[in-house]
Amino acid sequence: MKMNINKILRPKKIIMKNLHQRTMGLLAGLIILGFGSTIFGLGYTQLYKGEYFKTKAETQQLSDTTITAQRGVIYDANMSVLAQSASAWKISLNATAFADAPSEVKENVYSTLINVLGVSREYLEDKASYKQYNSVIIKTKVEKEEKDKLEAFVKGTFKDKENNDQSYGSLVMIDEDVKRYYPYSTLASQIIGFTGMDNDGRAGIESFYNSTLTGVDGRVISARSNSSVAQDIEYKSVYEAKQGTSLVLTIDETIQRYLENSLSACYETSKAKSCTGIVMEVETGAILAMSSKSDYDLNDPYTIHDKKTAETIEKITDEKKKENEYQEAMYSQWRNRAITDTYEPGSVFKVITMAAGLEENAVKYDEKFTCTGSVSVADRIYSCHNTAGHGTQTLTEGLMNSCNPYFITIGQRLGVDTFYKYFEAFGFTEKTGIDLPGETSPKAGTTYFEKDKMTVVNLASSSFGQSFQITPIQMITAVNAIANDGKLMQPYVVSKTLDSEGNVVSGTQPVVKRQVISESTSEKIMASMEQVALNGTAKNAYVAGFRVGGKTGTSDKLNDVGQVVASFVGVAPSNDPKITVLIVVDEPQGASGGGAVAAPVAGEVIEKTLTYLNVERQYNDSEKALLDVQVPGVTGKNVDEAVSSLENDNFSVKVVGDGSTVLSQMPASGQYIPQGGIIVLYTDEQKKKLKAEVPDFAGMTITEANYAAVNAGINIKVSGNSLSDENLTAYRQSSEKGAEIEYGSTVTVYFRTMSGISDH
Amino acid sequence: MSSEQLRKTAEKNSSASSSKEPKNKFRLFGLDVFIGGGFDIVYMVLVLMLLTIGLVMMFSASYISAKYDPATKYDATYYIKRQLGFALVGVALMFIISRINPELMKKMTPVIFAVSLVLLVLVLIHPYRLDGKEDFKRWLKLGIVFQPSDVAKLGIIMFFAWLLEKYRHQIETKWWVSLALFGLLGFLCVLIYLEKHLSCTILIMLIGIGMLFLGGVDRRWFILGFTVGILLIAVVVIFRDQLLDPYQADRIDSFIHKDYDDVDSRWQTNQSLFALGSGGFFGLGLGNSRQKYLYMPEPQNDFIFAIVGEELGFFRSVLIVLVFAALVFEGFVIATKAKSMFERLLVLGISLQVGLQTILNILVVTDLMPNTGISLPFFSYGGTALVMQLVEMGMVLAVSRSGERKKRAEKNA
Repeated sequence: MKMNINKILRPKKIIMKNLHQRTMGLLAGLIILGFGSTIFGLGYTQLYKGEYFKTKAETQQLSDTTITAQRGVIYDANMSVLAQSASAWKISLNATAFADAPSEVKENVYSTLINVLGVSREYLEDKASYKQYNSVIIKTKVEKEEKDKLEAFVKGTFKDKENNDQSYGSLVMIDEDVKRYYPYSTLASQIIGFTGMDNDGRAGIESFYNSTLTGVDGRVISARSNSSVAQDIEYKSVYEAKQGTSLVLTIDETIQRYLENSLSACYETSKAKSCTGIVMEVETGAILAMSSKSDYDLNDPYTIHDKKTAETIEKITDEKKKENEYQEAMYSQWRNRAITDTYEPGSVFKVITMAAGLEENAVKYDEKFTCTGSVSVADRIYSCHNTAGHGTQTLTEGLMNSCNPYFITIGQRLGVDTFYKYFEAFGFTEKTGIDLPGETSPKAGTTYFEKDKMTVVNLASSSFGQSFQITPIQMITAVNAIANDGKLMQPYVVSKTLDSEGNVVSGTQPVVKRQVISESTSEKIMASMEQVALNGTAKNAYVAGFRVGGKTGTSDKLNDVGQVVASFVGVAPSNDPKITVLIVVDEPQGASGGGAVAAPVAGEVIEKTLTYLNVERQYNDSEKALLDVQVPGVTGKNVDEAVSSLENDNFSVKVVGDGSTVLSQMPASGQYIPQGGIIVLYTDEQKKKLKAEVPDFAGMTITEANYAAVNAGINIKVSGNSLSDENLTAYRQSSEKGAEIEYGSTVTVYFRTMSGISDH
Repeated sequence: MSSEQLRKTAEKNSSASSSKEPKNKFRLFGLDVFIGGGFDIVYMVLVLMLLTIGLVMMFSASYISAKYDPATKYDATYYIKRQLGFALVGVALMFIISRINPELMKKMTPVIFAVSLVLLVLVLIHPYRLDGKEDFKRWLKLGIVFQPSDVAKLGIIMFFAWLLEKYRHQIETKWWVSLALFGLLGFLCVLIYLEKHLSCTILIMLIGIGMLFLGGVDRRWFILGFTVGILLIAVVVIFRDQLLDPYQADRIDSFIHKDYDDVDSRWQTNQSLFALGSGGFFGLGLGNSRQKYLYMPEPQNDFIFAIVGEELGFFRSVLIVLVFAALVFEGFVIATKAKSMFERLLVLGISLQVGLQTILNILVVTDLMPNTGISLPFFSYGGTALVMQLVEMGMVLAVSRSGERKKRAEKNA
């Protein structure tokens, strides 16, 4: 039995003979299959999938750090900084190392980051979950204060799992970043715009000139090891950053401030939806100031800046509606309404109709026209705002009265083709081409009549500025052409660009788009506009000593019955135009006409701006009689002598103290006060300054106000209008009523008239 | 030539050597201790070539990890200094052993095997636990810390060569002799497996099977064994969670699911692939590896060839593989000229070991095999391993010497 098994299982043949064969077979197998497969493996990983693995390797080996190019500075015309980038910091987490850190270390990092940066724990945990990355950004644009706190934290050390000392700096990294600062916060906010998280401009100049301002980011590519300990210095390439180009604006911070202060006051008192204003340099078309209230804080663009709006939104209970309203208010405050919003210009447009009429000889400058209160065109009867009729009037008087029938007639005489020619020539059918983003593009058939479809009825309403829509920038550019001897300019806000060393890279040359009307027509219209400001509907824009020309407008809103857009365009000085000013008030409440709401704003702006621009005042005789006088210096003089000399000059004098010599005086020597104003003389050093309570001047005439001022012991400065008009009443004052100010101080009181200014 | 004739020739030769060279002073067990004659120059050149390239690459690969390792006291030359020392000892031993009479080696075989066996048992009872590798029982401290399996590899090769020569007739006549040999191999594999040294277990199993095959064991056993082996591997792979240690199962998992973004279980393998891919065809240049900057864990050990591939590129890496192949080939050539069954199988076993270790190592590095932990001969850091490899090379050279002499004797006749 045993033998049988052995017989079955024992080898069938002698194999020793075949040993050599087996050896060679095994050798062949080993070399071909074994070594062959290793070569296959190497080929597959190194050649076939080589690039793939190489990319993977480089992703982990190479650290690619961006050197952010410093964004260019935005300056105003006088090189005041409007926008500037400054160092900030970027905080990131080494998620790879963090994953290996002991849990109490993790907690420590979490709590520090939450405390210092104000981020949530969920946010951090999410960031930490990307453990294949050794740099995950936690927060950018971190301020120095927070960065200092973190810097102190990362200097600390902890024990890692191998019980080695590790610095927190291996987990939390602080890198340079940049942040945009706007020193003037809200000033010119809609022009300047702001930047987003990525340092790209989101609005205004920041957006329009983004590529110019940005420059080119640099990079540092270096090989790094898989540890914070080992640093590789062998491989590093640096691509230098190209610094951004700086911009110098035509905007003058001072004029911008004048405009914004007046617009803000107007926005407050008129309770309008918005107040928009533009100041343009006549000769070049450069924008000196441009604003639209309400606006926003550039350093905090996502917050609703207008308190009223913010409160209204806060009261909304429906979360979704609240969110929507908030979004809308946010976009609204960012919007540069001067170039994005359209309105019907109303009577302001009459100067354009007049220019076309004069240029085409459709009307003579001295032509008399009788207004009967209405005029009929085709089957339509257009009535004048003065339904009794203005009677017989010259062209200038027609403009002063803002007489609709007169200008409808001029329009009809011109005919559709000629009217349209001037409509086009003044730039109402095209963008002005201002270097700001978001300018609304006029659309034929939508914002204005198509030439072929324009009827005489359309022509009639167009003649006095209704039934078509334009942007404020189009309006001011057109009027500016009239002031600029007929030359239509392309408006602009950037005057030149500077490299990082301050060398001029390029300058903007003013662009004359075309000659629209002749110089003589221009002069005639200027003269007429001056009359409108002196005696017509634009009286409130008159500034004593400056020859102001202007035209008011009050247009009905088609989609909002009962609401109007009040506007005013002014040119000053009218004999040698320097600036054009346009004020547009959307839906003012109460006193609603352009003459009542917009013209005083323009008057304030024109007065301050021309004074700032050193334009000499030229007073007429009646004005001279009422001019302010300079305070003589009497300090150090004998009290009696001083009092008698001042009283000789018609000042009212108040002496405080028992001393014999004047130690100080209020107002100081050289200041301007009204004739007969108060001067306080102090003779004792210890004596406290006298205090006076500011009276409420609202509604007073100039005479009444002067009287009240003397009684209260203060001086007033009359502003905003012709000094001689007895219909003027005060509407605003520089110090609030009831405020305590020093005896003898000056309070500016703004006057306007409410009579004879209606154009509606 | 039948096996009977072979035996007779061997006996005649041994008696001839003792009678014809009485001048030799050193004799042991009636045999000359030293032998003369030229050895296989090609083989020695190949060995020294691989050793030199291996040392240079080991230095390049280990430099950075040593520099930033507190365990080496931040000494960049920590590994190379030690490896160089072992290499010098190893080369000296190689040349000494190349002069020792293979007959004497045969006589010593049972002793060497017994010592190996004792060491393999000892390591299980009293292992030296290396920091961070407390689960493994691979190291033994007897004066120096070393892996008994490195010694045992040679012991097992020698013992199998000895057994296969001694029982070559019984293999042909008695069926259970083959089974007994398989059983012995299995027992040894279990011993090493208990060290938690799977890679070495596999290696010894393969060498053993190879030697049994070359020793003339009946083909049927291999067909049976092969089938059983495949089934066994399949079972192990499928039920790896139940059968294997978690770390071993993990490695098989990560081998099957190739995720090149894995940062945990596949980290080492992925880093290896990234290194090889970075090398491309021409490589980044000697010393320019970026992956050794602490991405590749222990670049001086099992994954050294990844750094070789990265620095030297595909072309030169293949050249190195071919040098290894040439070494194996030359080993086989020497074996065929050996004058006895023992010598022949000794050289074949050693060649198999070098060849298989190289192949398995590179297959792991290129992700064609799960990460098992097989070192690359002459390249990977490891003192005992390197010394033992050079000792083995010395034995091959010794056989080539006696082989050469036989060839010369034939020529002269």
